[in-house]
Amino acid sequence: MIKACQISYKHKEFHILDGVDVSLEYGEFLAIVGPNGAGKSSLLSVLANEVKSKQKIEFKDKDLKEWDIRELSKHKAKFSQHNSNDITLEVKDVVMMGRYPYFDAQPREEDFDAVNHRMQETEVLHLKDREYNTLSGGEKQRVHLSRVMVQLENDITRKLVFLDEPLNNLDVKHQYKALEIIKKFTENTNSAVVVLHDLNLAAQFADKILLMKSGRVAAYGTPEEVFTAENISGAYNFPCTICDHPITNNPMIIFG
Amino acid sequence: MKTQSKLYGYITISAILLVIIAVWSLNTGVYDFGGKSAFDVLGKVIQGDTGLSLSDKYVVWDVRAARIIMAILIGSMLAVSGTGLQGLFKNPLATGDLIGLTSGATLLAAIAIVLGGHFKQYLPEAVQFSLVGISAFIGSLLSMMLVYRISTSGGKTNVVMMLLSGVAITAIGFSITGFLIYISKDDQLRDLTFWNLGSLAAATWTKNIILAVVLIISYFILLPKGKALNAMMLGEKDAQHLGINVERLKKQIIIITALMVGSCVAFSGTIGFVGLIVPYILRFLFKSNYVFILPLSAVFGSILLLLADTFSRSIVEPSELPIGILTALMGGPIFIAILVKFKKSLS
Repeated sequence: MIKACQISYKHKEFHILDGVDVSLEYGEFLAIVGPNGAGKSSLLSVLANEVKSKQKIEFKDKDLKEWDIRELSKHKAKFSQHNSNDITLEVKDVVMMGRYPYFDAQPREEDFDAVNHRMQETEVLHLKDREYNTLSGGEKQRVHLSRVMVQLENDITRKLVFLDEPLNNLDVKHQYKALEIIKKFTENTNSAVVVLHDLNLAAQFADKILLMKSGRVAAYGTPEEVFTAENISGAYNFPCTICDHPITNNPMIIFG
Repeated sequence: MKTQSKLYGYITISAILLVIIAVWSLNTGVYDFGGKSAFDVLGKVIQGDTGLSLSDKYVVWDVRAARIIMAILIGSMLAVSGTGLQGLFKNPLATGDLIGLTSGATLLAAIAIVLGGHFKQYLPEAVQFSLVGISAFIGSLLSMMLVYRISTSGGKTNVVMMLLSGVAITAIGFSITGFLIYISKDDQLRDLTFWNLGSLAAATWTKNIILAVVLIISYFILLPKGKALNAMMLGEKDAQHLGINVERLKKQIIIITALMVGSCVAFSGTIGFVGLIVPYILRFLFKSNYVFILPLSAVFGSILLLLADTFSRSIVEPSELPIGILTALMGGPIFIAILVKFKKSLS
């Protein structure tokens, strides 16, 4: 799906990313975890082609720079961590932005269908006529999640979605809902790269985990491989215990 | 379907309104057609009736009709340039006059009028003929690039910087124009005064044709950008993820708005606030949905300026009021209203 070798990214003299390798299979859910300032968002930015890195990034066996920007928007989408607070539009118009790559002047029937379907899924359909600016933080997050998912609603196979801390401000139920939407998306040979803070949720939903520390990869592999007491307490500099989740049998991380 | 047919509905209704105002405007004025209405005379002009008196024809065709068309063209372009700039800067205070494009254009136009005689003969003939217009375009383009550089970094606009750079450019323009007035000859002085006050009285059909060409080219590029300007509200990176070439979009808006503002200034001087008033009113109805407000500001700009011009030439008949007085009278309070609304985010 996406392959990148030895990504380095410097801001002034400060190394934000230092020789990071990423490789993602079709249909894989990759969670990027790590402490604050580990370079998680920067890595996502580089992979999503927001900042230009010197190293080549291959997306679907083709250099990311060679993709046509409009075509690319039908294959991959990104959910940003800092969403704009000042959009004086109605919620449904914000979600409809996800369909902009697909129509020229007027949205077609299928665009409206896609928007309605995804808004229902993220439970924001009842807000569709509200002004975006009047929503709460969590509601805004859900609006953007449906916008991003709407953008990838097409017949193309093997799509990729990047999500930078999509669970911010969400209540427990909507955290699970959001992850279930992403998980469902990856079941159709689509892939997702998600920055998460909650390690237990990452262990439960992700296929692979990329643990970062100070701009480097501290550990990479399945949740069972990465989530060891040694790895986690080393990366976070905080004591922790690992046990089995009583229901799912995934690793469960208990801090303190 | 829904969105688009609604948009066409609004455009049709407002276009009909514009035509009604234009008919009324054609009939407004002190000239006596000897019992006939101005509309009859216009009909005869169009049919090429030879029995028409020359002065009747002149008043209807070369004075009133030309002026009405010019008001429609200029009003439309000023409003669309304002809306486009507001999309680019993501702020309802960005308009050609407030951020200094108009001053920049006026300044270079004034330089071309007063000092043009000294270097005109070295330029190619086509440039000589349209020297004032080209200078105005360059003036607004340079101010635009300067303001954008100063006020925007990393895709975010600092509104205070944007407005202050407008103030600075206006101050520079004012002082140099003042100096030029001081050293100018009599006929140049008349031209300069006209530029500073803004007026549609000098409308001719030649100017209208040039303006129409500028308008068609600009609208062909700019009017389909409603979606892109909406997406820009998400931020430049997210707009890029939606398949929009942000760098190209920004360049297009900068060049096209400078072209429109420059042409308007070259032919009608500084008529302020149109680009502020029209989008402000439209936002009440359509929020900031540029899919609607961009094309609609093209029609409502025409309506506003035609109304203002007709009032300005009929309110103190047989004399006329500078049109800028009327637009500023409406624009000033709106400027304050927007400032009050944005007080929190500005401080």
